[in-house]
Amino acid sequence: MATTMRPDAAPSPAHHHHPTYHEVTRDIAATLGHPKRGYFILFGFVLLVLAAGIVALLYQIRRGLGVAGYSPPVMWAVYVTTFVFWVGIAHSGTLISAILYLFRSAWRTSVYRTAEAMTVFAVMTAGLFPLIHLGRLWYAYWLFPYPNQRGLWVNFKSPLVWDVFAVSTYFTVSTLFLIVGLIPDVAAIRDRATGWRKKLYTITALGWRGADYQWRHYVKAYLYLAALATPLVLSVHSVVSWDFAMSIVPGWHATIFAPYFVAGAIYSGVAMVITLMVPLRKVFRLERYITVVHFENLSKLLLLTGMIVAYSYLVEYFIAWYGGNPIERATFWNRAFGDYWWASWTMILCNGALPWLLWFRKIRRSIPALFVLSLFVNLGMWFERYVIIVVSLSHEYEPYAMGNYTPTWVDWTILAGSFAWFFMWFLLFAKNFPTVSITEVKEIIPWPRRREVRA
Amino acid sequence: MSGHPGGVLAAFRHVDDAAQAIRDLRAKGFADVTAYTPVPNQEIAAAIGRQSSPVRLWTLLGGLTGLGLGLVMTLWMSLDYPIVVGGKPIPSVIPYIVIMFELTILCGALATITGLIVHAVRSRRPAAFDPRFTDDHIGVFVPCAPEGRGAVQQLLQAAGAEEVRIEA
Amino acid sequence: MTDGMNRRKFLKVLGVTGGGAAAMAGCSTERVEKLIPYLVPLEDQIPGLATYYASTCRECPAGCGVYLRVREGRAVKVEGNPDHPVNRGRVCARGQASLQGTYNPDRIRGPMERTLTGTFAPITWEAAITRVVERLKGAPAGSLWFLTGNEGGSFDRLVRDWLSALGSSHAVTFEPFAYEALWQANRAVFGIDAIPSYRLGDAECLVSFGADFLETWLSPVEHARGFAAAHGYHDGRMGRYVHVEPRLSMTAMSADEWIAPVPGTEGVLALAMAHVIVNHHLERAPADAVQLRGLLQPYEPDQVAGRTGVPAETVHRLAAEFAARPSLALPGGAGTQHRDAQLTAVAVNLLNYVAGNVGRTVVFEPAASGGNGSYVGVADLVAAARRNEIGVLFVHGANPAYATPPGLGVAEALAAVPFKVSFARCLDETAALADLVLPDHDPYEQWNDYTPRAGVRSLLQPVMQPVFDTRQTGDVLIDVARRMGGALGARFAGAAPEGGYKAYLQERWGELQRELADRRPFDEFWREAVQRGGVWRDLPASPVRVARDIALNPPTPTGGGRFTAIVYPSPTLYDGRGANRPWLQELPDPVTKVTWGTCVELHPDTASGLGLAEGDVVEVRSAAGAIEAPVYLYPGLRPDVVAVPLGQGHTAYGRYADGRGANALRLLGPEPAAFGGVVRYADVTVAATGAHVVLAKTEGKNRQLDRGIAQAVTVAGIAAGALEHKFHLPEAAPIPEREERILDEVARKQREATKYGPYAFETSRWGLAIDLAKCTGCSACVVACSAENNVPFVGEAQVARRREMQWIRIERYFEGGGPGEPLEARFVPMLCQQCGNAPCEPVCPVFATYHTPDGLNGQAYNRCVGTRYCSNNCPYKVRYFNWYDQSTPDDPRTFAWEEPLHWLLNPDVTVRSKGVMEKCTFCVQRIRGAQNEARVAGRDLADGDVVTACQQTCPADAIVFGNLTDAGSRVARLAADPRRYRVLESLNTQPAVTYLMKVRNLGGEA
Repeated sequence: MATTMRPDAAPSPAHHHHPTYHEVTRDIAATLGHPKRGYFILFGFVLLVLAAGIVALLYQIRRGLGVAGYSPPVMWAVYVTTFVFWVGIAHSGTLISAILYLFRSAWRTSVYRTAEAMTVFAVMTAGLFPLIHLGRLWYAYWLFPYPNQRGLWVNFKSPLVWDVFAVSTYFTVSTLFLIVGLIPDVAAIRDRATGWRKKLYTITALGWRGADYQWRHYVKAYLYLAALATPLVLSVHSVVSWDFAMSIVPGWHATIFAPYFVAGAIYSGVAMVITLMVPLRKVFRLERYITVVHFENLSKLLLLTGMIVAYSYLVEYFIAWYGGNPIERATFWNRAFGDYWWASWTMILCNGALPWLLWFRKIRRSIPALFVLSLFVNLGMWFERYVIIVVSLSHEYEPYAMGNYTPTWVDWTILAGSFAWFFMWFLLFAKNFPTVSITEVKEIIPWPRRREVRA
Repeated sequence: MSGHPGGVLAAFRHVDDAAQAIRDLRAKGFADVTAYTPVPNQEIAAAIGRQSSPVRLWTLLGGLTGLGLGLVMTLWMSLDYPIVVGGKPIPSVIPYIVIMFELTILCGALATITGLIVHAVRSRRPAAFDPRFTDDHIGVFVPCAPEGRGAVQQLLQAAGAEEVRIEA
Repeated sequence: MTDGMNRRKFLKVLGVTGGGAAAMAGCSTERVEKLIPYLVPLEDQIPGLATYYASTCRECPAGCGVYLRVREGRAVKVEGNPDHPVNRGRVCARGQASLQGTYNPDRIRGPMERTLTGTFAPITWEAAITRVVERLKGAPAGSLWFLTGNEGGSFDRLVRDWLSALGSSHAVTFEPFAYEALWQANRAVFGIDAIPSYRLGDAECLVSFGADFLETWLSPVEHARGFAAAHGYHDGRMGRYVHVEPRLSMTAMSADEWIAPVPGTEGVLALAMAHVIVNHHLERAPADAVQLRGLLQPYEPDQVAGRTGVPAETVHRLAAEFAARPSLALPGGAGTQHRDAQLTAVAVNLLNYVAGNVGRTVVFEPAASGGNGSYVGVADLVAAARRNEIGVLFVHGANPAYATPPGLGVAEALAAVPFKVSFARCLDETAALADLVLPDHDPYEQWNDYTPRAGVRSLLQPVMQPVFDTRQTGDVLIDVARRMGGALGARFAGAAPEGGYKAYLQERWGELQRELADRRPFDEFWREAVQRGGVWRDLPASPVRVARDIALNPPTPTGGGRFTAIVYPSPTLYDGRGANRPWLQELPDPVTKVTWGTCVELHPDTASGLGLAEGDVVEVRSAAGAIEAPVYLYPGLRPDVVAVPLGQGHTAYGRYADGRGANALRLLGPEPAAFGGVVRYADVTVAATGAHVVLAKTEGKNRQLDRGIAQAVTVAGIAAGALEHKFHLPEAAPIPEREERILDEVARKQREATKYGPYAFETSRWGLAIDLAKCTGCSACVVACSAENNVPFVGEAQVARRREMQWIRIERYFEGGGPGEPLEARFVPMLCQQCGNAPCEPVCPVFATYHTPDGLNGQAYNRCVGTRYCSNNCPYKVRYFNWYDQSTPDDPRTFAWEEPLHWLLNPDVTVRSKGVMEKCTFCVQRIRGAQNEARVAGRDLADGDVVTACQQTCPADAIVFGNLTDAGSRVARLAADPRRYRVLESLNTQPAVTYLMKVRNLGGEA
């Protein structure tokens, strides 16, 4: 891991006054176990919403997709929107845990664990929607190339099959990455825990002792996982964007989609990290480890990607105008001033306008402000996908077949259920595994030594 | 603790002491010293002195396997049951690149993990352990016959170990 | 057709099993739930192969000849009888849906009588007939009335014989669209009590004064054929058609020019044209035309311009065109039956006369028997009932309780009749008032004949075992007669002892045979007639002269209400008898594209003046009554006119009709006009109710945003080379060369793989050509497609969400209509274009949609997982998704095949399940069927061997299907026509559907 990094290079809590290794272990271990009433109430509420979502889904399976609001020509709507939304959320996690790791940026250490966990759970959530939106989800396995008596394989030319491969790969790799990162921490907790938790951690630590022969391979493996995850994360959202870009739907068929979607994904993901981190830090009293510095860095990331997204919005309209294709133009005119003007302007306001506030240091360093902003970005990014998908479909080539769409309670309930599903996992994780990496935080704290370092 | 050969176990607070102790021990011919650290540490690693890990080979081979698998699978499957869609060639390699890429990553990652487990387990040596080593101490374990333990104990104490224990 | 010997065996068996079963059980269901619904297998019934039986469509008085496609003893599809002189093998939308009447779940399943509690209870036929006999014995002869629809054949004769034998003469015929004005006018002007046949095919200049001749007027299918012949574009020449009516009807949408006069003044306009002709253009006029100058004097164009709102120069121009070429003027239809309808008809007769059309395009044959009866007849019946002069009333084939203005008080009057017997097949409003209901066979279950016009005797034969425990009314009447004995019994004792009505019918046909001087044995004559579906011959036209004494009663001034309401017949539901056919309910109205309900058409300017938007529910109130219905904004109206279709607002008549929409008849006064018909114009006020609904219409935008979906040129334009300048397409077989290679490769592999050997036609590229110059938007193809391909109906709520499933839709776009520019409507039948480069194919992850070696865009329903990506990627939006399970009874809320409707299902086509995508397949089952036949016969497919359902029924012959790679095929020739274009071809989807531009004849030298 960050073995080549000189501690003093880290803009880390270590700067102000280093907590000792023991303090680190103690403070972070303290966040685990012994939930209070508040936690159970919150968890109960989450389960309730999840149950509602499941009921809605079962109802939809029983009666047919018709119970959702679909109205042709809008054949994809809230479900695909939410799929793209959650996949996007996942991306910043990998960015922080893998890409920033390769860049050796020290500040990531105390935030990456939360981000990585968020990634895994977000992908778990996203992965549900391609199934939920299927007309016959009980045949979803037909999308995998497996030998069958029809002698038929899948269509590798279909972006949806690319999706199957990209998303399942992404889920596998980011899960492995999370687990590998957890092992030393779990071992540290194991050596402190008592009772059934001790048993749990003894098993999950896989016999980790931090011995030199373990570290030796561990460090390399972690490095290469990060190296693999980096191109993967870029590919996944590119592939997701190609679900649209590969079609001939005006408003979808655009070359900028891949970079535009990747930027948007990281943008929404960082926002979600902030949304999660702010309350987490309060509740777990981690102010000492997750400081304003971290939030400022996150908000700089937010600013950067936000600017890219805003630029993409402008470019889309510019190209529609410059390209001069009347059908393309009509689509974008409809997007801005048609029946869905409100959705489009919500997205432009939340994603294109508000992040400009981040140019001000004051805002970047004000945690409440960032929290509020991050909520707006989350909202805006959901609407971005809604606008791209629903509004484009509602206004295609055949004027006689144009038409609008309004979601039903089923759409909304399943959407809510997906958030519940995500937060259920996150809450379980937060109370049973360290949401801040013990090992990596320690790494940026210099070891006590008897003699001065010989330069 | 049992299941390991007897020896001397020391816990250090200071990394330079620990490193020095390991170097001295190896100078005295104790080859298989085991060092425990809560975080990876290059000084210790250097003192122990082992060559770099072979895990990266696993990654490379895994990745290449995935690439080949992707190529063969997509081509063979589309030729095995040829179906024309949208007037595109039956094997169209360019769209298949996506599949090949994803499989490269997937197999690469899986191979890396396999490599990690295989090597970590194979190079494992039985040794005594203390919970503090995952917290804030550096552990050094020297397996040695009972008669040699006194000397080792002295050496470690001299090196500045906070605590030295004879492990039967 | 199989030969008659076998059929007669077949029918004998039907009789036996049917009778036996009827005796066994009153309730039909357990009888019919057998897979093969007859006991003794028949040598002419090969499971899996269809048998065709000729019959006659009785959905309207036009009397088109049909073939019934019968599979395993069940009729599954109606197709036109190619020999039949009325429709020459084509059928309209209502005819295509007629089987939904046969299999209607709301058909009366057996005889019923009214109990003391006022509800109906089933009784046996025996008891029912005894009851009738008792009542007849008790009733004085004069108090015996019989009300029928337009039966126009032996049954009509039977009723009259039967009545006269009972000493009564009160046989009343009631047909809602009886064209009384036209009959009167023909009597007045030509002294002939008949309706002529209008030869649209010979008319180079056609002017319709409000006749919806492509929708309901007289014989729409016949007219469509003639119209297509005369008005279709044939190398540089086409007829010209001008429509005169305040509303742009579906028929008018095919016109080259639409003139919207002040409501009620079409006649005046016609007279003005006649005036111009008798004074300036006598080239073609008969000698005595000049005598009419005096009569026409007051109608000098400048004089009447004020009244009609049509400038004099227009009249002069039209008159000149009209007189210059073989022309034809058509008098107003049921939709323009205003107070002056008779004046219109008289005027049109005069106009035709002075233009020399009578005897050329207006041909009078000796009067057909029966006729349409008259509204006055019902009015008399009601009066008689009120005076308690009716003791026993029989009603067959008529529904006056619904189809007359409520003000007439049919229901109240019938309440005064002590004993009412209905022979209705469905419990309609009138049957609901009856004391005894003796359900008749469906026309496709019975022996009968019908005479649509002189010289044409069309036969009906039972094509299958009756669905329910019904009996043919003719048999019932004869049975009653026998039991009555006396004069009546004597009259029918003669008829072959056991024969019943069939024997009576054959007697009539014996007479016909003698009339025709046919020397063959009767059996032979009869068998041939049954096989062909009837006998027909051309009668000599009877010469007519204009009467000396014609009085033109001056038109009555309009006034009163703020708007004139036009109550017009629905092209889909006719007078309302179609309302219990879900296919017709879901068939978008060709003009408004609204389904499953009534809407009030308002001009957009009028609506904005009233602050109304589409879907706002308004109350339309006249002196007679009021209705409430949502507004539809329709630019094809005079701003001072509102229009409401007939056909909805039933208060009975089954689940699909009952309580749906509003009955526009409420707006009309009950008192008959001078000519004896209902006045279908009313002075009304329109007021918002504050309510708002989402219209269940299939139309998105009604303008094509310059996307060239529906293209048109003018005759003059073509002459000026407009077509040379347009972007040119690759010639036929529009498949990219590379793909062709691949396809051949795949075809070869598939042939190696299949053990059935090669297809009879290997290298084909199926294609369709649609001539928009012929398409009238009548939508027959839509229903035909649904019937052929088991397309379910989804109901109003789903259509409101745009989830209709019809595989072919008629898109209707408007052009122009701005200030100063004429409004033009264009129809485009839109179906799967079977693209060569289909965008839907590559995006499907599971190969559910793919390209077949013969160039079809295949769809494997059972492979589809329902990602719906294909539909997103289809530029034409012709893929339809099964949002619910329409195909299984598990979900009654969405089940589209309520028993026994499911007997309609075509066994050759998969019934799609929940969650899969479906679309037009070019009737692949017909293609494969024809290929198999060809293979068995060891020959190649010839052009025309494969006929798709839409092509088969198209009355205008606008749709042509075939193999594009066969240079000689009709479709290949059309695909190379200079007028050809393909929709959105800039996308390089290489559609297999070629459209031929609509051509408009703007008059002038063209």
